[in-house]
Amino acid sequence: MSEFIQQQLQHVDALERSAWLQQATDGSRDVFANASVPTRKTELWKYTPVRALTEGVYAQAAQTFSAAGLDEYATIPALGSHRLVFVNGRLSQELSSHEALAQVTLFSQADEQQQQLIRQHLDDVMRGSQRHWLNELNSAATNDGVLIHVGKNQRLQQPLQVTWLTTPQAQAFSVNARLLVVLESGAEATLVEHYDSATDAQNSFTNAVTEIRLGANAQLQHYRLQLMQEDALHVGAVHTDLGRDARYQSFHVSLGSRLSRNDLVVNHTEGGSHCEMHGVYVPQNQQLVDFHSCIEHAVAHCTSNEVFRGIMNDSAKAVFNGRIHIHPQAQKTLAELSNKNLLLTNKAEINTKPELEIYADDVKCAHGATVAQLEEKALFYLQSRGISRDEAEVMLSFGFINELLEAQPHDALVQYLRPILARRFGRDFQLSRHLL
Amino acid sequence: MSSQIETQAATTETVVLEGKDAEIGRRIGKEYQAGFVTEVESDTLAPGLDEDVVRFISAKKGEPEWLTEWRLKAFRAWQEMQEPEWAHVTYEKPDFQALSYYSAPKSMADKPKSLDEVDPELLRTYEKLGIPLHEQMALAGVAVDAVFDSVSVATTFREKLAEAGVIFMPISEAVHEYPELIQKYLGTVVPQRDNFYAALNSAVFSDGSFVYIPKGVRCPMELSTYFRINEAKTGQFERTLIVADEGSYVSYLEGCTAPMRDENQLHAAVVELVALDGAEIKYSTVQNWYPGDEEGKGGIYNFVTKRAVAHTNAKVSWTQVETGSAVTWKYPSCVLKGDNAVGEFYSVALTNNFQQADTGTKMIHLGKNTKSTIISKGISAGKSENSYRGLVRMNPNAEGARNYTQCDSLLIGDQCAAHTFPYIESKHPSAVVEHEATTSTVSDDQLFLCQQRGIDTEKAVSMIVNGFCKEVFKELPMEFAVEAGKLLEVSLEGSVG
Amino acid sequence: MISIQNLHASVEDKAILKGLNLEVKAGEVHAIMGPNGAGKSTLGNVLAGREGYEVTGGSATLNGTDILELDPEERARLGLFLAFQYPVEIPGVSNLEFLKASVDAVREQQGKEALDSVQFLKLAREKCKAVNLDQSFLKRGVNEGFSGGEKKRNELMQMMLLEPSLCILDETDSGLDIDALQVVAEGVNAMRDANRSFIVVTHYQRLLDYIVPDYVHVLANGKIVKSGGKELALELEEKGYGWLEDAATAE
Repeated sequence: MSEFIQQQLQHVDALERSAWLQQATDGSRDVFANASVPTRKTELWKYTPVRALTEGVYAQAAQTFSAAGLDEYATIPALGSHRLVFVNGRLSQELSSHEALAQVTLFSQADEQQQQLIRQHLDDVMRGSQRHWLNELNSAATNDGVLIHVGKNQRLQQPLQVTWLTTPQAQAFSVNARLLVVLESGAEATLVEHYDSATDAQNSFTNAVTEIRLGANAQLQHYRLQLMQEDALHVGAVHTDLGRDARYQSFHVSLGSRLSRNDLVVNHTEGGSHCEMHGVYVPQNQQLVDFHSCIEHAVAHCTSNEVFRGIMNDSAKAVFNGRIHIHPQAQKTLAELSNKNLLLTNKAEINTKPELEIYADDVKCAHGATVAQLEEKALFYLQSRGISRDEAEVMLSFGFINELLEAQPHDALVQYLRPILARRFGRDFQLSRHLL
Repeated sequence: MSSQIETQAATTETVVLEGKDAEIGRRIGKEYQAGFVTEVESDTLAPGLDEDVVRFISAKKGEPEWLTEWRLKAFRAWQEMQEPEWAHVTYEKPDFQALSYYSAPKSMADKPKSLDEVDPELLRTYEKLGIPLHEQMALAGVAVDAVFDSVSVATTFREKLAEAGVIFMPISEAVHEYPELIQKYLGTVVPQRDNFYAALNSAVFSDGSFVYIPKGVRCPMELSTYFRINEAKTGQFERTLIVADEGSYVSYLEGCTAPMRDENQLHAAVVELVALDGAEIKYSTVQNWYPGDEEGKGGIYNFVTKRAVAHTNAKVSWTQVETGSAVTWKYPSCVLKGDNAVGEFYSVALTNNFQQADTGTKMIHLGKNTKSTIISKGISAGKSENSYRGLVRMNPNAEGARNYTQCDSLLIGDQCAAHTFPYIESKHPSAVVEHEATTSTVSDDQLFLCQQRGIDTEKAVSMIVNGFCKEVFKELPMEFAVEAGKLLEVSLEGSVG
Repeated sequence: MISIQNLHASVEDKAILKGLNLEVKAGEVHAIMGPNGAGKSTLGNVLAGREGYEVTGGSATLNGTDILELDPEERARLGLFLAFQYPVEIPGVSNLEFLKASVDAVREQQGKEALDSVQFLKLAREKCKAVNLDQSFLKRGVNEGFSGGEKKRNELMQMMLLEPSLCILDETDSGLDIDALQVVAEGVNAMRDANRSFIVVTHYQRLLDYIVPDYVHVLANGKIVKSGGKELALELEEKGYGWLEDAATAE
């Protein structure tokens, strides 16, 4: 057994978890214990070395959980959200503002009824082939998860923001983040799942799993922002089940970190559901971003549209694996996927693999992937209007990403993310000033 | 109005699908036309594989010692290797000790000096297959090498080719006649330990074709090899090596058939192409190995390694029409080593009944301004599985390199499957890679439109399928494009009601 | 030309046509109008032999031949032409090769000599011009990426090439602007002659200003509930279908 697994198991075994929760995640500990650390030969991890993760020595928990000075990192201006903020894995009452919301509960505070709900859904949405060893670790170590439960035909008026912040500690440590979202039929909500950190070099390993189950005709707008400082390690997964006519729209941002691995799985489990999944990744320096998505069309008459774009700078590396799986019953499916990439230097790298696996004939599926450069025509056009070549490049690069960002429905988030992304391309302020 | 129409359309769909299924059931089971067995006496080695067998094969061919050692090295590497499992196919793994690694028609023991001495039974076999070996009967301008089980039985037009300086002969002969060329190039494109099947082939390959086109020569005719597996319980391991010297051109076509047998037979070939500076090689395959019966019983396991190295300004073009074999595992690839090298891959892969194909290509861009095009058309019918698997890699020096990939799948019937697994790896900011994939079906609406205009279903399907494959067929030499079209028609017979 | 008697048809076990009678003589133009869901499009599809449209009773004879048991292509070769409401796209198959295959099949049935490629191309170009379609359309995939109007004109061009004896126009006018409608109508009118009949299925009286019918029938609830001359169309435009539907249900 690898040292990393051994060490994590010790942490798991030292946890004091209530019996019902232990039961709900039964089995994960053993699966993790018997897992082997993936290598280049493991198809799901082919391009993503995990050494940065496994060579670390992690304390079970952080030493300090102070909220001092962290408000600015937790705040998304003008969003008007209810929020839960975790600092180094522990809920900060000081930074949070969710008390009024009956729809949100910590697992540890769940009443009988909520416990039953958690037992019903937890680990049940996350199933199938893309559930991996670190997801198992998350389940085995889940203690302070968050349940969001929106009742039948209820609408959460304000966005709900769940933020996990980390601060540097004396010793490296792991944070287990778990979110369970259940929308009953006809319910509607907006969720902002947000990972951030103080600006100084981080030594945290965040292992996050979000499970989402949408009932008939329910609708969720989901933002998942991974904006941590670049030394942080982040492994995250979102598994979503869509009921009849449910609509799931998500937008993913990953700035990149030493290791940022994201598994996104959407299961169309009943007819008429629609999934719209967009995302951008913009790693720089030595960062690695990995998105593995899988859209499971298990039933007929569902649609999905997935669009991801990435720009790799410096020696950064990105991995995109977008799988569409059409099961034999899923006739009349419409599924599309597009992945476009820009490499800015000759040390940057992209590995992309859009996959189609189709077992039904009366379907329309298409995917496209490109690795390209900025269009010379467009660069020239900007230059001919007196803009410097460098600035033109920055503007066009940003435009490439911004096209997806601007299409997002919450203006406060667009305004919040815009400068963060713009600064990625014009690290020299002179170059990004027209974007901010 | 529109809502009513939609309902009706949906309704039609359901009803017709049932009809289609019924029709598939009724009409599947057409005859594989190359499925006969030829009665010839053969020298066949007892099943089993060890170093002695490797030595035996080498000795039988009177090979020089370096080649015996080369084979043994491959054999030892193979013993350490695992049969690959990453392809999207499932099959019972061959028992490599139950296969015979050498089979030759007895009459070939003393090699015939000319076609007149070739066993008439063999010649008749090739005629039955539509491949006349008698030169006076041969298609004008096509030189043919025929490989029967493990040995080459006849090569036509040798003299005429020799005039142009072109060497076209069985590789077993070339080992003796042109040892320096063989030693220089054999295994340089596909090394012995490249993969499990290539290693096996390197150890036991029996025969195959060797082609050399001298500098600046444009080969005066199409070259063609026909492979035939006849003997039961044998594997076929041919090895082809084509070297196009600087500025030369050659177009080469291979065709394959096998008898209908209940057991699975293994075909593990290696093809190596070397296109030196400014040379061009066009390599076309019409693969019609026995696909097994409608229950999925029998058929050829086609596990083939094909690769080309293209030097500066060279061009290599792979065109394949794959309709046969029970299981196909095949990725004709191009290593674009020199600047401005061009690689092309045009493929039609059709699977019906229980056939499985995992095929595609690799384009490895090493040189500057290298260019590659991949056009893959997969057609799945019956209960078959058809996968495209490809790799496009832009290395850190591949400045200005370009790739365009288009990967289309056509599904006929609701029991089949089509998959696309394209790997794209880019490490150069100026390299451009474009990949597109789509799926479609032969819809009932399309069939009905054709019928309403007086075109029967079979003709309609064949028109749609031919239209779907057009971009690939235009890459085949003329005579073979027609053959390929017909082959698709026959292979698809009965797949649509 | 065509004689339809007591025709019953259903789709997915739902009865749509419930005893339809229609007699069309050579050279006549019959318009069929009716409310949504009356079975107008079903009639065209049943006559052309579309799968899933099950004939549960009655008969239809084209020039004395019972066509209901024939395959769609056999009916087409006998001279029955259905201009589709929504012509399907067939990517990869060029319009030209499609048309040639179709014309060859129909001519063969009629005992006419096959046209060679040159003759055919010339003919196809002529017809293109007649329906105001650019010749580049011949090279494109069948209906692939055509606009709604272009698809309808492509249908008309095929009709001209095949010279059928019975043409069924299924809502050929829907979605067309006046200019496109005129082109289509002119084409149809040019083809009217003593040996050719038309069944024009439409939702809008407008079309009948351009293609003037000899008879107008109202199809409601699966049968023809009223027949008359061209003035009936105007009456329907004014009064709607309500009064007739009520009558039909009352029966």
